[in-house]
Amino acid sequence: MDSGFGYTTIMITRTKKILFPVGLILLGALISNAALAQKLQNRNGKTVDFSGHWEMNYSESDNIQARLDSMVRELQRRAQRQANNNGSNRSNAAISSAPGGYNSGPSVIGLARMADSITQSQLLEVEQGEYEIDIQREETFALDCEFYGDYFHTVETPFGKETCGWDSHQLLFRILLPEGLSIQHRFTLGPSGERLNVATTVVSDRVSYPFTLNRVYNRFDPGKSGISCELTLTRGKVCTTESSQ
Amino acid sequence: MKKLLLVLLTVALCGCTGSAPKKEPQGPEANQLWGEPLRSVALMLPPSEPEPHALLDIGLVIFDPGVPEDPVNNSKLGIFPEIRKAESRYQPYILRENLVKTQAWGAVRVLPRPDASAELQLSGKILHSDGSHLVLQVRAVDSTGQVWFDKVYHDEAVESDYPVIPGNDPYADMYRQISNDILSYSQQLSPAQFKQIREIALLQYAASLSPEAFDGFVSADAEGLLVVNRLPSQDDPMLERVQRIKNQEFLFIDNADEQYLELYDRMTPTYNLWRQNGRELAIYKVEYEARESSRDRDGRRGTYAAMQQTYNAYKRSKEHDQDLDELAQGFNNEVAPTVLEVQGKVFRLNGSLDSQYTEWRSILRSIFALETGLPPAAE
Repeated sequence: MDSGFGYTTIMITRTKKILFPVGLILLGALISNAALAQKLQNRNGKTVDFSGHWEMNYSESDNIQARLDSMVRELQRRAQRQANNNGSNRSNAAISSAPGGYNSGPSVIGLARMADSITQSQLLEVEQGEYEIDIQREETFALDCEFYGDYFHTVETPFGKETCGWDSHQLLFRILLPEGLSIQHRFTLGPSGERLNVATTVVSDRVSYPFTLNRVYNRFDPGKSGISCELTLTRGKVCTTESSQ
Repeated sequence: MKKLLLVLLTVALCGCTGSAPKKEPQGPEANQLWGEPLRSVALMLPPSEPEPHALLDIGLVIFDPGVPEDPVNNSKLGIFPEIRKAESRYQPYILRENLVKTQAWGAVRVLPRPDASAELQLSGKILHSDGSHLVLQVRAVDSTGQVWFDKVYHDEAVESDYPVIPGNDPYADMYRQISNDILSYSQQLSPAQFKQIREIALLQYAASLSPEAFDGFVSADAEGLLVVNRLPSQDDPMLERVQRIKNQEFLFIDNADEQYLELYDRMTPTYNLWRQNGRELAIYKVEYEARESSRDRDGRRGTYAAMQQTYNAYKRSKEHDQDLDELAQGFNNEVAPTVLEVQGKVFRLNGSLDSQYTEWRSILRSIFALETGLPPAAE
């Protein structure tokens, strides 16, 4: 199978025992959601400042192929453990062939491709205030969050539900989408304040293991252009030269 | 087992994050909440030139912007506080223009704050405002405390309302309807009732300056409405002074009105564009949602194509919302300086008015004390 990632050694057999892992995932999601709520409600009031311009550091970011290999190995280990528990010498399929089936090759690879495609932004621009943060991401929609009160911010649209808030010193965005798809972005600032890690986890109800991809960003100074611009409705973007002071 | 899984799925997906208010409704859902929108409304004029006694002065208080106290709900409800603040000063001015056009009233003034001694006071609250719908709650109450009406008005903009023709407004029907309702109510009043409204307004104003001198002239009846017990004599010098100070106050309020006119003139082109773009975005979003919900899936659930389709639908909806945010920012960049400037002037005027009131009241009390030998009223 040509996955588009060069991975050709996916073991393909059938499995009928999908109900138990699905239950485990749902239970996991339940516990995970409850834990997230508890964490966010107990969050430390002192927040981290992510403000600034960030550019992706490819050398420090995850390699998609390596992460996919790691995920497949994990699935195989789990299948083997389950087979051992069942007293069978032969392991159940780690990955099946049916498109869209549970732990199918297309689903596993699709998950990795999704993680890769939604984390392509090379540049981030973060504006953060006391009660809100706005993360502009190149070539995609911005992630924004408000921090009023102790509860976390939830916005619902016909296409999904987004929840965000602080988990101690980390900023979390969780997007629940239809068809069993969910995406989580976890922003962590390095100790020096010059390095930003964005861990993106994609979960599908068709794959028993989430796929996480880390993108590392370094702070950079875009420099002064000498021009300050602001958007207006009737005159479009209005730019003025900045004073030298 | 399947039932257990269903329960787990339901709880896992919706149980832990709390409920989120949804953006305010559109279309039939909006009509269900606020009633049918107004149809075409013509401005009603009095059948004949009103008698001088019927020319009540109207105080039109700037509207309550209707911004929730908890700011966390603003973005969830699609409310832009700065725009609402500008609208709360802009909309009363349009209503004022309609009332003036009828020539059925005395002075119609936009007030920066409520005035208990207004002959007729109109107050309003913005319940919803965007390029597609305007919903206002408007209350009219006269100086006796009689509520003429307290009702919700809902108007819907249609495609032909945009681009807005200079001098027009997409919700002109609503302002005309409010004007018509006030006029209709006033036409049921007898000359004696008009007279009483005017007398009580003046006595209320006088009592606010010197409660001791004007105590007992007005009292509340069984229904809580104010009635005149007795009147000061026509040539009462104190009443003349009260009238003079009241005229002084009106001079200040007329000055404030000019600031609202300036705001109206400067804000109109930007505001009209904001509403037009906002409406187009809202329509596009509704159509997009309809298209997406009826569209065939790109692949089987769990495949990359299917996941991408799901994600892209969400992405587009987020981009729509953020386009609207950007429009709001553009609006604020253009109008906020004016609002602040006007606010500043009105606020300073308020301050002046308040301090002058205090001073006038103090002087009036002193004069009154000198003339009558009564002790001056407490501050």
